[in-house]
Amino acid sequence: MAVGRTIWTPDDATQERRRNPSHAARPRPEQPGRERAWWYFMRISGLILVLLALGHMFIMHVLVQLSGQEINFAFITSRWGTPFWRIYDLLLLVLALVHGVNGARIVIGDYVQLRSVRGVLIGLLLVVTLIWLLAGIIVIVAFNPGVGPKVGPFS
Amino acid sequence: MTLFGYRISWAQLAWFGHRASGIGVLIFLFVHVVETATVALGPDVYNFTQTLYHNLPARLGEILLMAALVYHSLNGLRVIIMDFWPRTTVYYRPLTYGVVAATVISMIPLSIIMITPYAPWGHV
Repeated sequence: MAVGRTIWTPDDATQERRRNPSHAARPRPEQPGRERAWWYFMRISGLILVLLALGHMFIMHVLVQLSGQEINFAFITSRWGTPFWRIYDLLLLVLALVHGVNGARIVIGDYVQLRSVRGVLIGLLLVVTLIWLLAGIIVIVAFNPGVGPKVGPFS
Repeated sequence: MTLFGYRISWAQLAWFGHRASGIGVLIFLFVHVVETATVALGPDVYNFTQTLYHNLPARLGEILLMAALVYHSLNGLRVIIMDFWPRTTVYYRPLTYGVVAATVISMIPLSIIMITPYAPWGHV
């Protein structure tokens, strides 16, 4: 407990602490450029994902259950028949995947010391992500719902 | 606090929790994309993949996923607040406790709702 107190007293304004006030994630890169853009992307996409991802979980696991619905093909047909939910799911897919993979890239960079292994891991992650991203986008955009009946408000 | 003989601060624990929950949610996301993509193979295939979720272990996993997402969201908000308004780091301790408390408190009703179909008081 005392460890935290010595670090976080308000008058302890060291250079390091000014650079990384939260100490909860990585500090903002000092040089402007790609890494700093990613730093901002993580925070902005995170803010949007709080609404999108938590909303998605709340709808799928609380509201659907409380309203006695079931997630099946008919549910998807009805859900993706509405442009709103299709765009919602598309946005959630892209933001969550890019946010998550960039986070994983940073974690790999922190724990894998060997440059070659790190490069291979991150390269593999990028290739897999690109395939998943493309497949996910195609499935959501190309899905043809036909004439499914409305199942409920969230679909 | 002392954990396995090491003195660990709440800052370290919150930081580690953020990474662990993030990686956990990402792994599920990769599975979730594949499982949802089976919707392109027609109703029979998709309805079958959905039955893979209809058991107690899967539901407990979903509750864990919800907890990971709630913690990652709230802790992420704390990171954003402290990164963009450095003066709020004075409230680092109450903010961190608040994130943990809010996660636990919100998971109580969420867990009860989600476990209901498999609980003695539930149906199905």
